[in-house]
Amino acid sequence: MKFTYSWLSEHLDTKLSPEEIAETLTNIGLEVENFIDFSKTHSHFVVATIKDFKKHPNADRLNLCTVDDGSKQYQVVCGASNVKKDLKGIFAKEGQYIPGIDLKLKKGKIRGETSEGMMLSEKELGLSDEHEGIIELKKDIPNGTDAVQALNLNDPVYEIGITPNRGDCLSVRGIARDLAAKGCGKLIDQKINSIENKSANKSPIEWKIKKDSNSCEFVVGRHFTNVNNTKSPDWLVKRLSSIGLRPINALVDITNFITIDQGRPLHVFDADKIHGDLTIRLANKDESLEALDNKKYTLSSLNTVISDEKNVLAIAGIIGGTTSGCDESTKNVFLEVAIFNPSMTAKSGRSLNISSDARQRFERGIDKSFVIQGLDYASFLILKYCGGEPSKSTDFGVINHSEKKITYHFKKFEKIIGFIIDYKTQIKYLKSLGFILNNENEKSCTVKVPSWRNDIEAEIDLIEEIVRIHGFEHIKEVKVTTSNEEQTIINQSISNKMHNIYNRLRKILASKDYREVVSFSFHSENNHHDLGGSNVLKVSNAISEDHGYMRNTMIGNHLNIIENNRKKGFENQSIFEIGPIYNDISSQQNIISMMISNNKKFNKVFSNGSFEFYDLTNQISLLFKELNFDIRQFKINRSSSEIFHPGRAAELHQGKKIVARYGSIHPELTQKYTKDLKVFAAEIYLDNLPIEAMSLYKKSKSFESSFPFSEKDFSFIFNKDQNLFEVYKALLAIDKKLIHEVEFFDQFYSKEIGEGNKSIAFRIKIQSKDKTLGEKELDEIYNKVISIITDKFNAQIRN
Amino acid sequence: MDIKKVLDEATKELISCEDEQSIHFLRVKYLGKKGLITDLLKTLKDLTDNEKKEFGSSVNIAKENLLNQISVKSEQIRKNKINEKLSQESIEITFPSPNLSLGKIHPISKTFTEVIDIFGNMGFAVAEGPDIETDFNNFTALNIPEDHPAREMQDTFYLEEKDQEGKPFVLRTHTSPVQIRTMNENQPPIKIIAPGRTYRCDSDSTHSPMFHQVEGLLINDSANMGHLKGTLVNFCKDFFQINDLKTRFRPSYFPFTEPSAEMDIAYSVVDNQIKLGEGDKWLEILGCGMVNPKVLDNCKIDSSKYQGYAFGIGLDRITMLKYGLTDIRSFFNGNFNWLDENGFGLGRF
Repeated sequence: MKFTYSWLSEHLDTKLSPEEIAETLTNIGLEVENFIDFSKTHSHFVVATIKDFKKHPNADRLNLCTVDDGSKQYQVVCGASNVKKDLKGIFAKEGQYIPGIDLKLKKGKIRGETSEGMMLSEKELGLSDEHEGIIELKKDIPNGTDAVQALNLNDPVYEIGITPNRGDCLSVRGIARDLAAKGCGKLIDQKINSIENKSANKSPIEWKIKKDSNSCEFVVGRHFTNVNNTKSPDWLVKRLSSIGLRPINALVDITNFITIDQGRPLHVFDADKIHGDLTIRLANKDESLEALDNKKYTLSSLNTVISDEKNVLAIAGIIGGTTSGCDESTKNVFLEVAIFNPSMTAKSGRSLNISSDARQRFERGIDKSFVIQGLDYASFLILKYCGGEPSKSTDFGVINHSEKKITYHFKKFEKIIGFIIDYKTQIKYLKSLGFILNNENEKSCTVKVPSWRNDIEAEIDLIEEIVRIHGFEHIKEVKVTTSNEEQTIINQSISNKMHNIYNRLRKILASKDYREVVSFSFHSENNHHDLGGSNVLKVSNAISEDHGYMRNTMIGNHLNIIENNRKKGFENQSIFEIGPIYNDISSQQNIISMMISNNKKFNKVFSNGSFEFYDLTNQISLLFKELNFDIRQFKINRSSSEIFHPGRAAELHQGKKIVARYGSIHPELTQKYTKDLKVFAAEIYLDNLPIEAMSLYKKSKSFESSFPFSEKDFSFIFNKDQNLFEVYKALLAIDKKLIHEVEFFDQFYSKEIGEGNKSIAFRIKIQSKDKTLGEKELDEIYNKVISIITDKFNAQIRN
Repeated sequence: MDIKKVLDEATKELISCEDEQSIHFLRVKYLGKKGLITDLLKTLKDLTDNEKKEFGSSVNIAKENLLNQISVKSEQIRKNKINEKLSQESIEITFPSPNLSLGKIHPISKTFTEVIDIFGNMGFAVAEGPDIETDFNNFTALNIPEDHPAREMQDTFYLEEKDQEGKPFVLRTHTSPVQIRTMNENQPPIKIIAPGRTYRCDSDSTHSPMFHQVEGLLINDSANMGHLKGTLVNFCKDFFQINDLKTRFRPSYFPFTEPSAEMDIAYSVVDNQIKLGEGDKWLEILGCGMVNPKVLDNCKIDSSKYQGYAFGIGLDRITMLKYGLTDIRSFFNGNFNWLDENGFGLGRF
């Protein structure tokens, strides 16, 4: 919503400066998004004349102008196409700041010729986007006049963001009313006289509202014959231009003016282009309209339209059509003033994606007591500036003046806002806002809501109005602390615990040179297809194809990140992300996903070899150790996911739940996404692990003994498919008191041991808490190891 | 034989010794059982008592002297031997290390942690809700009915899949549906924050289709707007680490709160850099208000008995302000240059 200080002054008698008004507006909830006071920024530009000009010797499209600003002459290089002798324009000298192009003018040479300043366009002055040519002024303005005066820029412009509840402030009148309530001045009375008795003529066009919806409760019109639709008077042209609206012709400008001035949208039809009477109804499926924005709209039953006996002429409450629009040849005109239903207007406008000044106001609800007055105000202006003969008004329907009454208890204010305003002051604020109070006493009153405040429904809304006018700066800050009960809740909160766990993992991974990334919850259709995502996760209005689906894994995004950074020259990359993946609509889980591409260690001095599967195993083990799990206690199997290399990827399970999968990315994927760069990935499904175990600060005590330990290496031949996690568990189970560590340290494959076999070596550490173990006791354990492993796994001890 | 002469000869020989073995031979030659100095001592018995005393003492001094010299010499040989070995072990110590690529933690994680800590100290527990929401939880229950103009305030992502009411699922446009979920499952007192991912179809340097918010909700029988202001002013001071932070509360509108407010923090521009906390310009950083009784009623909480406040803060935005970052898109594209510059090493996390 845009308006100027002088426009506001038509409604508000105020002593406040433009700046003070701006500050107050924001303080009462009418947030000033933009406040432009050209008198502060544009007064150093002056009027100057181009005395003479000639072609620039080194550039066809440039001219060398001699410019006179009344006190001195300057040489100016100018590229504008409208340069001519004696043209009067606005001149900027070197050293001055040009707001429209954000540039400080420097003295310099352009193609070898000195230029001491610049003749400005509207765009360069920051007044509009017009940059076709330089500004041309009337010849009678003396050179040296400052631009503020010459261009009438001494009227500061406000742009305020009106929240959806305040339809009443989509008008200069409404804004003035709020400022007056705040005590910024007096609302100037406006008197609108009825012209109903000036005419005895009946309107040749009548209204009908079809009962196919509740989209319109009341409509009124008036016919004017023999109007002269010329250019609008200067004051009106100035009003509209000052807020960036293009003046069109008097009839159209008058409706636009009343829309902004009073928040009362109305429409004018060229009556000669209307066939028969007008009907307000829902559109039929195959109807369409060429609208005043020069776009053709295909309509549906979501749209309410105004039609004559042949065609749709306008989309009700939103936009008019070109065929019945008023231009300078219009002789007879029909004026429409209606009450359209807010929600129907919203639906209609949204379905066609049109946002217009009319729609904005109807969907927030207009002032139902300003319908006839709106008609009269427009009629008055039409007669004054276009002449013509008015008819009597013609209407259809009934205005539903639903009066809202609220019982308000003054004590409620303190309960909600936290401090006391005495009831008399509260009454003063309510009255200043136009509320009518009855049954007033010290405790309560009955409040009648003014017709323009469609947003006020309950006591809480009145409290809001009172504190808004009183000033939010008076609300006292009260310190909020924590209680023991609350601290207990926090300590027990699963989400709090999970965030602590995430941070522990972040630190471990950062210490291992991983960079944390945060990627979108989306990925591309290609990713979704390649990575086995579900179809239900399609986003219907995705911002681009790359974000077409909710991700079922982060691997797609991470492959792209790896590839993008590879292109930037990063060769050794380790990344991780902690965040959500989506299995279907109602199943979202937070996981930790890691990706490593680290196989090009060209540095022979600092290298510790390229990253391989077992390095990943090590890091996964480390992370699980931080979470208080020994991964060798999980069930492990080869991953059957097509994302991974079938021979180089593992899945870990606890019970029936998968807790991790990791390994080498399938070569077909790396071929597609990372130019064959070797990539490893891991996913840990934190939500599938018991949170109590992960949150423990101390896991079981470590083993400590002062007696000597013994170590013994074994080497067995197993079947090639033997799961070594099972062997590990079996070894630990042999003697829990004495066997404390098993480390697998070698593997070996050869024809000699058989192609279906593998040779595996491990070392066992044995130690007692109570004594030094003798050779006999050790041998006993060694024999047990041999017999149990041999029996249980059909293995063979090697020498 | 003259003891002095013997000692002189031994000393001379010792100088030319170069290893442990020659020293051993020298020791045998002079101090062994049949060594030259030992032999001299054997001649003692032929002397008079006075002579014995004098000669014996001079031989013993010479013996001590030689032993001493031998010990010094062997230590010298041992050292030389070690030094020679160590010098052979010498390596190139000027070889430069490659660029360090130490791990980094994302700035948004730092902000999450700080937000949880600061509100935790005020008694707020963390709650969470899903990103894929029903239209009802995201809008209707929050007093944003279908045709409400407030829906135009937010550009919503929809999924093709529809919910039980036949309406398409949405990607939550704010963290506020967590309020609804929390109130549907718990009666007051309620005191939660809900940080998480949020989505709107918008993309430029200050808008990302995915971003982060933290929601706050406190419901009891007496929480008022003063508590709300206190909570948020305290949070901002703590988060931005500015004790005399200048803030401004001004009226605004959200369908789910009444009264609604927005909070700004003051800033000034010094040498093209934004300086937070003081100055005459204002930056909007959050929206808040007293929970609209209609929302409480929607969640089966008795609005005649309970009241409270809610707030929503853009986490990416406050992160950008705190660390002077200018493009929200760089948060999410995984660019290592950006992460290396703006991420947190372990020591600073």
